[in-house]
Amino acid sequence: MGWESWVISTFARALAYGTPLLLGTLGEIFAERSGVLNLGIEGMMIMGAYSAFVVTYTTGHPWLGILVAAVVGGAFSLIHAFATVTLKANQVVSGLALTMLGLGLSGVLGRSWVGLPLFTTLRNVTVPGLSAIPIIGPGLFTRQNLLVYITMLLVPILWYILFHTRIGITIRAVGEDPAAADSLGVNVDRVRYLCVVVGGVFAGIAGAYLSVAYRPAWTEGMTGGMGWIVIALTIFAFWNPVYGLLGSYLFAALYHLSYRLQTWVSPELLKAMPYVFAIIILIFVSRGTLQKRMGSPAALGVPYTRGEE
Amino acid sequence: MAIFFAAYGVSPARAYGAILHGALGNWRGFSETLRRMIPLLLCGVGLTVAFRAQFWNIGADGQLLFGAMAATWVALFSGLQGPLVIPVMFLAGFVAGALWGLIPAVLKVKMGINDVITTLMMNYIAMYVALFLIHGPWKGPSVRGYPLTDIFPPAARIPTIGDTHVHWPTLVLGLVLAIVAYIMLNRTRSGFEIKVVGENPHAARFAGMSELKTVVIAMLISGGLAGLAGVGEVAGVQLRLLDPNQISMGYGYTAIIVAWLARKNPLGVIITAFFFGVLMAGGDVIKVNLGLPFQLINVFNGVIMFFLIGSEIFMRYRIALRRA
Amino acid sequence: MHKRIALVAVLAMVLIGGLVVVATAAEYVPGAPIKAGFIYIGPVGDYGWSHAHDVARQIVENEFPWLSTVYVETVGTGEVVSTVDKLVNDQHCNVIFTTSFDFMDGTVAAAAKYPDVIFAHNSGFKRAPNLATYMADFYQVYYLNGLAAGALTETNKLGYVGAVPIPEVKRHLNAFVIGALEVNPEATVDVRWINEWLNPAAAKEAAEALIADGCDVFAFTEDTPTVVQVAAENGFPSFAHYSPMYKFAPDYVVSGEMVHWDKIYADFLQKIYAGTYTAHNLQNVDYWWLLGQGSVEMAAEPGMAINPVYVDKLKAITIDHPTFGKISVYDLIETRLNQMSDPGITFDPYQGPIYDRKGNLQVAAGAWLSVDSLVSLEWAVKGVVGPWPGEP
Repeated sequence: MGWESWVISTFARALAYGTPLLLGTLGEIFAERSGVLNLGIEGMMIMGAYSAFVVTYTTGHPWLGILVAAVVGGAFSLIHAFATVTLKANQVVSGLALTMLGLGLSGVLGRSWVGLPLFTTLRNVTVPGLSAIPIIGPGLFTRQNLLVYITMLLVPILWYILFHTRIGITIRAVGEDPAAADSLGVNVDRVRYLCVVVGGVFAGIAGAYLSVAYRPAWTEGMTGGMGWIVIALTIFAFWNPVYGLLGSYLFAALYHLSYRLQTWVSPELLKAMPYVFAIIILIFVSRGTLQKRMGSPAALGVPYTRGEE
Repeated sequence: MAIFFAAYGVSPARAYGAILHGALGNWRGFSETLRRMIPLLLCGVGLTVAFRAQFWNIGADGQLLFGAMAATWVALFSGLQGPLVIPVMFLAGFVAGALWGLIPAVLKVKMGINDVITTLMMNYIAMYVALFLIHGPWKGPSVRGYPLTDIFPPAARIPTIGDTHVHWPTLVLGLVLAIVAYIMLNRTRSGFEIKVVGENPHAARFAGMSELKTVVIAMLISGGLAGLAGVGEVAGVQLRLLDPNQISMGYGYTAIIVAWLARKNPLGVIITAFFFGVLMAGGDVIKVNLGLPFQLINVFNGVIMFFLIGSEIFMRYRIALRRA
Repeated sequence: MHKRIALVAVLAMVLIGGLVVVATAAEYVPGAPIKAGFIYIGPVGDYGWSHAHDVARQIVENEFPWLSTVYVETVGTGEVVSTVDKLVNDQHCNVIFTTSFDFMDGTVAAAAKYPDVIFAHNSGFKRAPNLATYMADFYQVYYLNGLAAGALTETNKLGYVGAVPIPEVKRHLNAFVIGALEVNPEATVDVRWINEWLNPAAAKEAAEALIADGCDVFAFTEDTPTVVQVAAENGFPSFAHYSPMYKFAPDYVVSGEMVHWDKIYADFLQKIYAGTYTAHNLQNVDYWWLLGQGSVEMAAEPGMAINPVYVDKLKAITIDHPTFGKISVYDLIETRLNQMSDPGITFDPYQGPIYDRKGNLQVAAGAWLSVDSLVSLEWAVKGVVGPWPGEP
């Protein structure tokens, strides 16, 4: 098969597999930008996948399923927000506990839903006109479902919000120096709650994508560790939605290639590549001034208590 | 939580009772609790040291795996025989785990790279290295093509109590090292430096403490202890190297909670690791004897965690109020 | 004199026999109710391996009034003995089934620990007086699937998503290829491995990679219907695996492999109930059950050997067969099915001459591959394309 088929398939699969990663990453970027580390993404994703499947199966409307998944994800993350922002508990532990809870709950609830085929899935869409462009057309604009394109469009929107609007500046301030933001009248707690919930909503949608579009069925643990990859991608993206897009698609492309190249390269080697890559790129970028500009939110992971510093 | 048990037709009292009885009430169950406790204890103690230095070691799973791989090499490929094998396995496991933990430590201190991501990534890399080994060069000639190594020779098997899975030398090692870690943190200079670097990096720099050296020491210890846990799992329980998930069983992640619960006190880890051992062994009991879905124990654990998180806050506030 | 000695001897034997009975009171007595414990490697919700065992468990439990069962899911390889501890001591099981190769050494240890309990280990090869082995193997069914696949491909490239590269999967894969090439000597089978039994995302990406490489008919070994769905999304036919996956793509699933573990369970348990099998005579009991015993079936839905949507197509494709002359693929499949289902099996996919893809003769002309060779098979048959870990 010519090199065109390689490029096309890599692009297409990168989009397909990268979308849930991107969705999760976008949400986690917001949460972490406000200073809250959310390790519970895996739990929220799988709860989203479960609820989306159940709703879509019973009502026949995949978008309704996605909506419900978003709500479920957000509600789940509310627990994390409450624990970490109001109760000021340790964020790592709360997130881990939430993952445990989410995996367990979805497993328990999902027992009677396994093995049921879903036919009312998100349908694939081909972008007219753009899909006729040679190579890029079939690669990027053919037969992906709507959520993929919506996600792509969200990236510049979220980037703009984060870096060029007042709310974005507020969020980033809260993440860098909550005491300063507080003294300027910002309600730190409320901002953090908002961002964590946004993170949860996106995670829920990411999970929904998996069970309603990517692989329309419910199987226990079907997120398969994607939540953890999202956490890594968030940092890899330097908390910037645009880099998040690049990172997610790159990761997805490598994943796809690990199967296409299996004849020539050991699969374990290929599968480890994205993780090795991540570290190498981090090393590369960290040398020098880039680090200052792209560092993590200074207050990430630290609960904020007024009057305590 | 009671709701869940009730939904399956089991009274909550009966469920809790089954967990406690199953994990503590008889020797069989108790041995299961102990067996779960061992890796949690070792990893947990290591993590308290790392956490004290404010180094978020999410990578205990990976360090555990490297310890397991090192032990496997000693057991099957080093040609070593006799009573030396087991101590050498532990040593090799410690070194391997320590080195694996060293890399993220250096990356953080020298280049400011976030420790959560590096340790997390290293988990996956360790997993794939292990997979590569069992699918390829280390696949046992006697296992008919399955991705496993051969079974360890008797000299490389850690003795267990009776016919249980409790490999007591590792347990003893864990208890001793918990005490050693406590002493180190509170009575030695290195321990002092670790705490200062962790709690107040500015002061540490003022005092001329080398942040690099301190964090490195902390992570060497943390990784090394996780490596020891890996040796225990592979030479005490499984007796071969196999699928990484079966070896690490998420102990590295659970140990984070164990360490946190113990308020970063190595002696406290003995208690919290035991507690989680009870939970995990109890979960098995529920699975078999009450016919409850096994996922329920995850729900159970999660709920307990939040309960603990909530109550920890109250305790903290109580202390603050008293001080004021 | 002799009579008195004889009488003493008989009395002594009765006494000793009575003691023996008392000492082994835990041992099962034929005719009493049986409680059987099932240990699964995965969740019953996987819709694949463990699910099939559980379905079988429920069938036999309903069938025999003297049987009650209990099951444990997602048991780790290091937990076999501790699980058996609970099953035997708390649940009072007399029979234990361990349903995965990974449980082999754990089962051996447990069987040694409880010599009065009857154990049966699935897909292993170590036995003991109280430990039997059993397996329902698919290779004949994969061969039949291959016959259909070879006929239906238009690009002459078949795709196979393999789980773990162990002999079991390899012999199934090879059988599939042998079937395909018998009908279509131009065909090749492209393989991709996901190195796991259950991983829907991996299966999806592997299938997509195969599609990108030009394959148009698919078979697989993975515990979810993912490959079926991916193939159907792209308009390609596929062969279901393990569980009834027809309903996931009624227009694109041609056939598949289905298992009926209950046949083996029923046979084994009935023999225990009747006293034929005890905890002392299982050393050589090894079930290697195939089409003939009804333990496997060519189908994607029970009773439906070939999807009606494809029947006419297969009838219309005629080939020139070395043995049967001009024959439609559909008839060929039926003929082979009968040949293999008959008690006196007259055909085996692995009957020689068979060459591996390196050109070595693996099965001599006129010979059949022994069960031992099948169980430890590592080579790739001619026609396989792609990575083949552990190729000799």
